Amino acid sequence: MKNDTATAASAAPRYQPASNYVDDAFYGWLNEVSLDLDAVTTQRTGRPDAALAAEIERLLTVESRLLDQHAYAEWLDLYTPECAYWIPATRPAGDPRAQITLEFHDRRRLLDRVARLGTGLAYSQLPASRTARQLSGLEIWASPGRSDEWRVRCNFLMAESRAGKRRVLGGWYGFVVRRVGDALRLAFKQVNLLDPDEPQGNNSFFL
Amino acid sequence: MNDPLPLAAGSPSWDWLIQDDRVHRTIYTDPSIFAREMNNIFAATWVYLLHESELPEPGDFRRAWMGTRELIVTRDEARALHVFANRCSHRGATVCREPGGKASSFTCPYHGWKYDNRGQLFGIPGKTAYGAEFKARDMHLARPAQVASYKGFVFATLNPDAPPLETHLGAAAPFLDEWIEHQGGADNIMVGGAQRFHLECNWKMVFDNAGDGYHVPFSHQSLLQMTNARYGGGDMSYFADADRSRMKLYALGNGHTVIDQRPDMYGNSAWEQQRPQPGREVFEAHVRATVADADAKRVLESAVGAGMNLNIFPNLLLIGNQIQVVQPLNAGGTTMHWHATRRRDADDALNTMRMRTQEDFPIMGEMDDAGNFEECHRGLVNFPEDEWIDISRHHETGQDVADEEGRIVGPVTSELHLRAYYAQWKRLMAAEPTLRASKSRIAR
Repeated sequence: MKNDTATAASAAPRYQPASNYVDDAFYGWLNEVSLDLDAVTTQRTGRPDAALAAEIERLLTVESRLLDQHAYAEWLDLYTPECAYWIPATRPAGDPRAQITLEFHDRRRLLDRVARLGTGLAYSQLPASRTARQLSGLEIWASPGRSDEWRVRCNFLMAESRAGKRRVLGGWYGFVVRRVGDALRLAFKQVNLLDPDEPQGNNSFFL
Repeated sequence: MNDPLPLAAGSPSWDWLIQDDRVHRTIYTDPSIFAREMNNIFAATWVYLLHESELPEPGDFRRAWMGTRELIVTRDEARALHVFANRCSHRGATVCREPGGKASSFTCPYHGWKYDNRGQLFGIPGKTAYGAEFKARDMHLARPAQVASYKGFVFATLNPDAPPLETHLGAAAPFLDEWIEHQGGADNIMVGGAQRFHLECNWKMVFDNAGDGYHVPFSHQSLLQMTNARYGGGDMSYFADADRSRMKLYALGNGHTVIDQRPDMYGNSAWEQQRPQPGREVFEAHVRATVADADAKRVLESAVGAGMNLNIFPNLLLIGNQIQVVQPLNAGGTTMHWHATRRRDADDALNTMRMRTQEDFPIMGEMDDAGNFEECHRGLVNFPEDEWIDISRHHETGQDVADEEGRIVGPVTSELHLRAYYAQWKRLMAAEPTLRASKSRIAR
């Protein structure tokens, strides 16, 4: 008998939810989206109609508010099962296969982070950061060749107060929004800080 | 904030500030002690600058630091490394305003003085305005007295009397060799970007913790609880009862120490005890499909950390697969640079997995460490009458034992790490070292 405990252990339901989607094709898609989000262009094709634009804007507003409220379970419910959350360590973003990021999470590691903060013992968030996000300059366009998916870019300013210290973080967000059944869900969030290559402070909450 | 200055006349001695089992709070908070550290430690002993793989091509350069001294490190067209101060010989302006890149020369933005990428002055606008006395002076960019590389790790010191780098590394060198071996050898290491963090604390708070096997179940309780609840344990759970673990702490001389986690982390399978990272299943399937069974464990484990926390005093910390560099800014401010490493011999799948692995602990654990360091510093500042920092754990239990190689080996929760590096700190701080930088022409 093949004595391969490693295979047996990883096949067991020890690591849930299974994360089979973070493969080379997925990274390739993320890089393509990342380049598109940051493209220098005056023409975005596939702009949504006013109703859809308003719906997407509402989704982003709720996403921001749930983070400001530390409502992480509800926040993660806005995301598709096979989602990604990425904070590049460089500007512009590099390929996360070759370069370290500040954060790169699949759904499982997002759940890890939510669970860790939920223990009440994550000292970098005791007390928790209070945040207020302001989004502006929203641009929405259809993903190439798709009628159920849109790409979104907007600037953000985030006022933060924690333990008597105030900061302002800024930059731009990129999102991929997808129609799933009747709902719009987020498949991807990229946080492009103004200064990801400069020393960062305590960003142990979700940006 | 109004600390007495211990270095003033009639001030306490180094022997009083640094005792066998406790140290005085002012060594963390006093600006005059910090200023002396920048000379006696961050200039007078070997300071880590960067890894050679960060300058792969001729013409590459990057800024680096010896404490508060800013340097430029370059690779010239003959592939030789050069280290010089980022300070124009004319009126003092920095000649390089970029963190890194490619340059065959550096032109001072202020008056246009030009230096080649060896730091040699070759152009002064309006040169006829200068006379014989000026021309007799050495006006090249200032170079530290000694620069040396150990298997790709580049160090410098301003102290011409510092012992050779290998002597300074001493008993730490075999552990560094093992760390390099985990990466597949010296030429196999490629730095793949950095995460940088600013901490509002003295740099020694970071160094204190680098050899601390005591804090894990407390500081990282949230991580251990989460890992236990979601995955039934793993990663670092062996620290829960660390004094009974097989891990050891070694004091290696010259202030260097190592926590060797390998007996527990690699006891069964370091890959199996790793928390699942994004892409784990895909990577494991890829390895099992492309690598012979006999090699699979080794390849999987090269995605995982090297299993040691190797601390090269005063500013190089090898943790997991990361090269961490401590940059003191002032008595209450520190920048940390966490350089990720890739393997030249690895396929994209392995290097991708290494990136995801090296991102895990920074956001899951080091954030909580940083929070504690900052609160330590705040505590030391906010009540000066409580003067001492206790570093006596296992000092009186007789469990720190000298081995046949002259190292001291203790339980992983021993504060031997602090006692050992503070002995070196005290020796350096009490000394009156020669510091020298050369502005002369480089012999070709």
